[in-house]
Amino acid sequence: MRRVILAVTGTIAGLVALLSFKSHVPSSPVAATAGGPGSGSSSASSPSSASTSPPRGGGQTEAVPGAFPQGSLAGTLPAGETAVNGKVASTSYGPVQIQLIERSGKIVKVAVLVQPLNTLNDIQIGKFAFPKLISETLTAQDAKIDAVSGATYTSAGYVQSLQSALDKQH
Amino acid sequence: MTSVARRSGPARHAGAQASPGASPGTRPAAVPRPDPSRRPQPRTAPVRRGPGLARVSERGLLTVIIAGAIAVLGLWWHSTPGVHGLGGWLTGAGQVLGLFCGYGVVILVALMARLPPLERGLGTDRLARWHAMGGRYVVSLVVAHALLIVWGYAVTAHANVLSESATLLTQYPDVLMATVAGFLLLGIGIVSMRAARRRLRYETWYFLHFYTYLAIALAFSHQLADGAAFVTDLAARFWWSAMYLTVLVLVLWYRVAMPLRAFRRHRFEVLGVKEEAPGVISVYIGGKRLDELDAEPGQFFRWRFLTRSLWWSSHPFSLSAAPGADMMRITVKNLGDHSQALARLQPGTRIFAEGPYGALTAGDSDRGVVLLAGGVGITPLRAIFATLPGHVTLIYRASSERDIVFRDELDAIAAARGATVHYLVGSRAEIGGDPLSPRMLRSLVPGLDEQDAYVCGPPGMTSAAVAALRAAGVPRRRIHFESFEF
Repeated sequence: MRRVILAVTGTIAGLVALLSFKSHVPSSPVAATAGGPGSGSSSASSPSSASTSPPRGGGQTEAVPGAFPQGSLAGTLPAGETAVNGKVASTSYGPVQIQLIERSGKIVKVAVLVQPLNTLNDIQIGKFAFPKLISETLTAQDAKIDAVSGATYTSAGYVQSLQSALDKQH
Repeated sequence: MTSVARRSGPARHAGAQASPGASPGTRPAAVPRPDPSRRPQPRTAPVRRGPGLARVSERGLLTVIIAGAIAVLGLWWHSTPGVHGLGGWLTGAGQVLGLFCGYGVVILVALMARLPPLERGLGTDRLARWHAMGGRYVVSLVVAHALLIVWGYAVTAHANVLSESATLLTQYPDVLMATVAGFLLLGIGIVSMRAARRRLRYETWYFLHFYTYLAIALAFSHQLADGAAFVTDLAARFWWSAMYLTVLVLVLWYRVAMPLRAFRRHRFEVLGVKEEAPGVISVYIGGKRLDELDAEPGQFFRWRFLTRSLWWSSHPFSLSAAPGADMMRITVKNLGDHSQALARLQPGTRIFAEGPYGALTAGDSDRGVVLLAGGVGITPLRAIFATLPGHVTLIYRASSERDIVFRDELDAIAAARGATVHYLVGSRAEIGGDPLSPRMLRSLVPGLDEQDAYVCGPPGMTSAAVAALRAAGVPRRRIHFESFEF
């Protein structure tokens, strides 16, 4: 019995110690922007070094469920709208890159060009995080938006990529 | 229980060998071969541990296991960017436990892979205990891993636990298989618990245990397909798979290939069966080049008698005399269906034998030795009684005169090597006190605290004897014992 109690408490104590070390680890979840300067309005290129999974762009994006635009919209825009790609922000879970669609200086759409897709858990996180982030962006019209809880890294990557696109736009 | 040497396997009853050691006259009439002119001489020359045989110490094994566990933690640490929020904590804990489960099952299988250095160094009985203890721990971790991952993913995805469970089962690769594996492991853990074990036949329990291999196979692919530590890390996938593959090869080699090779090379077969005492029989086993097995007195084999009713299960029985070049002897007490069937074995029956196993073998010292046998636990001690170096005292506890096995042999060995035998027979009242009290032991064995002690008997007797020896001043590391528990 004593051994059982020892094993249980030892395991829990060890886990808590281990996890609490990790929870203090990164102050800024997003590394300094990886990848070169985001290119002009139509290119969705992302540097290969930033990505552990092949970056996806354009129409080749495989179908990922979720109600937000994925892949570049540059080829499908009506007149008057222009696409601006953000830089690739590399997060610990993988790279994030977004594309702004603006009309007369106003953000009308945001598409996700690159997102972490290593595990289904990453996909799930993207599925609930990006729609929220996008709708916040459309409301705020800038990059000062709150991170989505449970998707800290993805949010930070999104904001960073968004900011770089806004910088380019102005 | 650190440095106490002991061993035993499932239901070991007894064992013996080819040269019925001390008295050639004890060869049963039923044994047709070998002819008397080839009968080995009584063997009382000291037998020491084979110098070339590797032995892993308890501390050595523990060091390896802990080092592996730290490496597993390192893998998690390396692959985890950070832990944030409730979902992160739960998922992180689930990942760590999951990695430990994957590592733990490998260790558990390795402990039971019949690796000779482990068998000789720690003994089958202690390996089985470690396996049982570790098994309970790993099964608990499996359950905790599943619950934490479901909960953690549900929190992260803002879903409820039920729908997240469904998502995990249906959308994540191989999680369904892993869930089946988890339930298998849980079921095996439950039937292995002491209370349930008593209600099961040994054979049933033994065969249920084979499902652990299925469970491990089913659980493997979800580790690589879903484990965050492996998905993006080719090196981690490689080493993790290499670990599984290594243990698989070891199991196949030592549990399948080596016994098959021994079967072909040594051609074990039944020579004859002799009743030693009511319900106690000796089986004489012949074979070729048995000396090449490097079996030591005090060790045992797992025997699978190839008859219509017995071929499907193997049982561990100690050699009950030092092994000879062409004959071995085991001695078995009627404890179950299997041992009853042994009494009806016909000469010429082929035997599939795995071994030798066990660490209850002669040490390196020339100190005096005291052997404490309880009931049919005499069998391995009978084997080392004839061959231990130094002065030997044998104390043999039996409940009645009729139950004493090998009396003639023991007396003959004692006379041949100038050893002492004390038979403690009957109830405590008849003996005049607790036969295994420190005072009784000291009075029977002068200079007891300077000696090595070997104990073999039923679990109650073994633990009482070990406690009494400790109280009488024998250091723990000099007490070698083996119990008859599974």
